[in-house]
Amino acid sequence: MSQNVNHHPSISLLELYCDGSLTSEVALLVATHLEFCPHCQQLKADIETDQAWQFTQQPAESVVSNDDWLQMLNNITSSDTPRQPSLRPADSVISVGDYQFRLPRNLQHLAARRSKWLNVGGIASCRLPSGEPHHLSLLLIDKNTEVPLHTHQGLEMTLVLSGEIVDESGRYVPGDLIINTPEHTHKPRNVSSEPCLCLSVLSAPLHFKEGLTRWLNPLQRFFY
Amino acid sequence: MVITAVSGHHVLQTASDGVSQMTAGPVQTEQQNPQWEQALALVAVKRDKQAFSDLFAHFAPRLRAFGLRMFGNEQQAMEMVQDTLLNVWNKAALFDPSRGCATTWIYTIARNVRFDMLRKKQQRKDEISADDLWPDGEHPDIEGEHSQQWDLLLIAEKLAPHFAALPPAQRVVVEKIYLEELSHQQVAELLGIPLGTVKSRLRLALERLREALNESER
Repeated sequence: MSQNVNHHPSISLLELYCDGSLTSEVALLVATHLEFCPHCQQLKADIETDQAWQFTQQPAESVVSNDDWLQMLNNITSSDTPRQPSLRPADSVISVGDYQFRLPRNLQHLAARRSKWLNVGGIASCRLPSGEPHHLSLLLIDKNTEVPLHTHQGLEMTLVLSGEIVDESGRYVPGDLIINTPEHTHKPRNVSSEPCLCLSVLSAPLHFKEGLTRWLNPLQRFFY
Repeated sequence: MVITAVSGHHVLQTASDGVSQMTAGPVQTEQQNPQWEQALALVAVKRDKQAFSDLFAHFAPRLRAFGLRMFGNEQQAMEMVQDTLLNVWNKAALFDPSRGCATTWIYTIARNVRFDMLRKKQQRKDEISADDLWPDGEHPDIEGEHSQQWDLLLIAEKLAPHFAALPPAQRVVVEKIYLEELSHQQVAELLGIPLGTVKSRLRLALERLREALNESER
């Protein structure tokens, strides 16, 4: 069975990710997609190369005095002990009920700070730390389970981490990125015999109107 | 082999006006010089202060300009410069030249520093950090993956209308390589950009064309 990632972020979305201007929750979905997708890893490297080139093209003349620069230089080179990277707690595997999932490395630190799992009829979710306008969570859809038809007032982005789901527009396997706006009503189902774990971002309606749609709307068509 | 199929007049026409723009300016060659990669190696191996001050002299003013554009104020811009270069000083050993040039590495450090500075300003310390978004270390090796399928795609005449929509810098690279049959190295020399940048722009342009093609078929 082919497990190739089929639903990618667009180049425009990757560019925003690479220059650091995406909302962090959305950026996290893109980062997690990259963990699954060699194709987009290459594009990311290409975009960074290009952005770095633009960065070097900036005029380098400086109004900062030489003394100030020299002082900064000395500050840096005299700080002779490299900072110890603080070890952040990390969970590489998480358990939900009887299931266990291996997490992509970029989610392991956040997963260690997850909230409790909440369970409703075959669907479980737990929140990960995120900023207020957004809900970032892990979502488990048990085998042979249908997510009730829902309308989201904001933007809903989902990345499959394990297992697979289908909806009206297709089938999604690990690494696939699904973006839905309020115009979409969809009914994702897990028709397989394995549980499906997803990473999900829901944005609040307010934020959606002013922020995310501006750049997502033109991209929407690439995502179904 | 691709050339004959693509050289329809439409493509040639739309591609040509970007070229004059791109080649008119002064030729920039500094990035082709491996001196920054060597300097990073010296810093990594023996904490070479001379090599570092060379890096500092080159990158600090550029980082400041970048920071000013991003933050709009001098104090934060300079904080970003210092944090970025401190990371360069301390983490030079993590630089892997096989994954990209020194400039790209330093640029991504600056991006991450900036991201975390903005996050702290918004008092979101406990949330998603740059380390979660751009983890150190790299993905599995991915070189040379799909060039063939791109050649096939380019043959398609229906790509022609999308050519004009490419960013000029990418369009000129595609044109030089596919229409004028220059090698990647020749294009790098002609445009005064690093070889890696030529390859990057080519891949990005082809990806854009693919996106446009998918879109028009929908």
